Amino acid sequence: MRKFPISTALTIVSLGALLMLLRVWMPAAIDTPKALLGAIVDFSPESTPASPLVERHEAVPPERLATVAASAMHAPLLDDRNGVLDRFYASLWRTEKGAGTTRILHYGDSPTTADLITGDTRHLLQERYGDAGHGLVLIAKPWAWYGHRGVELSGSGWQISPASSFKALDGAFGLGGVSFIGQAGAHSKLVLRDPDQSNFELWYMAEPDGGVVTAEADGRQVAHIATDGAAGPAFAAFAVPGGAHQLDLAVESGRVRLFCLTAEKAGPGVVYDSAGLNGASIAVLSRMFNETYWAEELRHRNPDMVVINYGTNEADFASFVDKGFEKELREAIRRLHAALPLASILIMSPMDRGAREGADGIVTMPTIPRIVALERRVAAETGCGFFDTFDAMGGEGTMARWYTAEPRLVSADLIHPYPAGGKIIATILVKEIDRGLNRYKLRSALTEPRP
Amino acid sequence: MPVQVSAGAYYVFVAAVFFLFWASAGSRHARLAVVLLANYLFAARYGLFYVVLLPLCSSIDFLAGLGLMRFRAPAARRLLVGVSLVLNLGLLVGSRHMGWVLGRAGGGSAHWDWVFPLGLSFYTLQALTYTIDLYRGDAEGTRSLLEYLASVTFFPTLLAGPITRVADLVGQLAKPPALDRSAGGRAFFLIGLGLLKKAFLANFLAENLVNRVFDTPTLYSGAETLIAVYAYSLELYFDFSGYTDIARGVGMLLGIRLPINFDRPYIAANLTDFWRRWHLSFSNWLRDYLYFSLPGARTRLMPYVNLAITMVLGGLWHGVTWTFFAWGLLHGTGLAATRAWMVKRGRKRKPANPWARAAAVFGTYQFVCLTWVFFRASNMENAWAILGRIGSLSVGFENISPTLLAALGIGAATFAVRKQWYAWAEERFARSPFWVHTAALLVVTLAIRLLGGRANVPFVYSRF
Repeated sequence: MRKFPISTALTIVSLGALLMLLRVWMPAAIDTPKALLGAIVDFSPESTPASPLVERHEAVPPERLATVAASAMHAPLLDDRNGVLDRFYASLWRTEKGAGTTRILHYGDSPTTADLITGDTRHLLQERYGDAGHGLVLIAKPWAWYGHRGVELSGSGWQISPASSFKALDGAFGLGGVSFIGQAGAHSKLVLRDPDQSNFELWYMAEPDGGVVTAEADGRQVAHIATDGAAGPAFAAFAVPGGAHQLDLAVESGRVRLFCLTAEKAGPGVVYDSAGLNGASIAVLSRMFNETYWAEELRHRNPDMVVINYGTNEADFASFVDKGFEKELREAIRRLHAALPLASILIMSPMDRGAREGADGIVTMPTIPRIVALERRVAAETGCGFFDTFDAMGGEGTMARWYTAEPRLVSADLIHPYPAGGKIIATILVKEIDRGLNRYKLRSALTEPRP
Repeated sequence: MPVQVSAGAYYVFVAAVFFLFWASAGSRHARLAVVLLANYLFAARYGLFYVVLLPLCSSIDFLAGLGLMRFRAPAARRLLVGVSLVLNLGLLVGSRHMGWVLGRAGGGSAHWDWVFPLGLSFYTLQALTYTIDLYRGDAEGTRSLLEYLASVTFFPTLLAGPITRVADLVGQLAKPPALDRSAGGRAFFLIGLGLLKKAFLANFLAENLVNRVFDTPTLYSGAETLIAVYAYSLELYFDFSGYTDIARGVGMLLGIRLPINFDRPYIAANLTDFWRRWHLSFSNWLRDYLYFSLPGARTRLMPYVNLAITMVLGGLWHGVTWTFFAWGLLHGTGLAATRAWMVKRGRKRKPANPWARAAAVFGTYQFVCLTWVFFRASNMENAWAILGRIGSLSVGFENISPTLLAALGIGAATFAVRKQWYAWAEERFARSPFWVHTAALLVVTLAIRLLGGRANVPFVYSRF
């Protein structure tokens, strides 16, 4: 004991004693002695395997995971009571029978802008009901991660203003929520993986001194569009018989203000427009869009169903969730109902969103379940359908499970799903739509007058 | 769950070992028994099978060492060192890749996995230093099994080094230990610094940018992706050097001096200089035990080829994947090119002018960051995606917050800290009274618990 390092020992003992004392005031910050000792001497088989040979727990394939998650839930994932989605179901049934195109317009935030869930939903619906084209594609990438599955997009020379940057301007952001202003020389290139798209429409802002934009399909000019006219949204449709592999848009002269391009096939089938903005919140629809312009664009597009899919970014602001979110959501719905009185509206809840807490802990952000409950209630009160993405994924704590799943299903930010995660949600959504359509068919058969 | 080196339980464990060790310091056998018990307890928390596997493998190496001390016949010595090589390389490959073999044997549908929660890569390299040193006559061995077992599995180094020559550890553990107030203070300084590096810089950068970008590069602009690669270079440095600081500090509490592993690597002026500053215990091992063992050292061409072979094998030591192969090949090729350049221009004694040196440091850092892309990427596709995003030249900084920029700035600024300043701070702290040490460690502990996030994120190198 002669050489015992007294000073060093005193440091260790006094540090331990002080931490135990501080535990009285800060119990959450300092582990209990029992927990600390337990972590050292826990030799249970689960904690310390006796052999390196361990039984494999097979990862649940996404398709099965979707079924498991969906079947485990009690409340309906897709609430379409009182016929709130009947306009959509009627159109989808017609499409299934080979007549006409069903259009869905999906507004959302960053997962939507990356076409993560919408891309799979589009693919699954088109596989089941027919492919009527890509639908809405922006003029250029407002941010690096904007994407539309099956389309390679590039552009330069554009002054880009997304509605999610919360600079109101004149509120003219087009159907997709982004305004692209360009002078002569600005251009965009769309490479289409499926070259059968033959019906295109350019969405732009007509202005008294608007310039001219040209469109070329595989190097052949197919449209020469003068954008001058009375101020307001305008649309220039052009056909490319036989389709195109590549479409080039270029400003020929003057200053033009473009919004988006729609690409469609003859049909019948489904068109699923993905209109996601990075960092967007419900305020994009309730405040940022000029109501008159937006209504005109909505009526022109005439979707059978509009999906409102916000809440992830709002989850950061608990006070807004409790005091302001409902008002904004109701305003967005009012605007949509006013513009499209016959269209179905589906409120799609946000996904689970994780936050890091405690040792190794990932928990659901407390605002997420509140947003989901609020959206479900508002949907029921305003004649909208409701899809519970949060429950469909597995509810509380899903992000922790998805983050630790092998392979992982969500990115380290605990917000953005990996492609496999996005596919799970899309699979459940489409399955619920199929079930809803079947319910609609049954109801229709029962209510049709007998001969 | 194993005891993470950054978790509170580890320090309770270290404190218990500290008191038992110094209480029994008067008896060589007793203190060695305490160290051995601590080593095996630490390993057992990762899996009970380690308390059988490690003594078994260590004992075989010990017997090989006894044979090398006794026999002088070259054939016998080659046989003994060969047994040790086969054993340790077999353990290295078996622990990492037997799962793949079992999977293949089961036709890809086997219901069993082969899992080594505690990687034995560092153990095997450390164990080989003993038998190879004895074979070469570079060190003296020990006839005490207890000394050998306590040294070769010394718990602070077991997880991720620093790789220490076993003969050196045996020598230190055999001597009566000493720990004055200054050495104790130095140990606390290293542990506190290591924890701060890990919790405040490495974890922050990993969770707030690096992991996100490497997970889903298509969600980020080219500029953000490039910043994420730079952030990863800092994350890896602070993570690994933080671990090394903690290991050295814990070793010091038991009177053991472990080698340094880092010397401000990102101010290296060329790749050779970089490897004299980065993961020194590993680069020294590669040089002493692999590169010098390869044939053709006196030919004109083979030293260059051997550099490439050494670094490719060094890359594959981290894992048999194409990404680590690419990482090793890039470094091997870069080292060979640097060597060729040095041979051509001759050794310059005069220091280069400051601008030329700054350009050399910048260029070296860019090359090292390029190699980190392959080191961090989950596969080659992911690496190409990262490089593709950077090559897109798209600009956007939506995901770079001011806090993140501050963390990057602080991280970069640490490379401007002169060695003398660091030594001065360490010395001042070490000489302070015990209550200053207590207060400082209390502040560090509370800061980490309250501000640094409580998740016990494993150290990057603990998976190798």
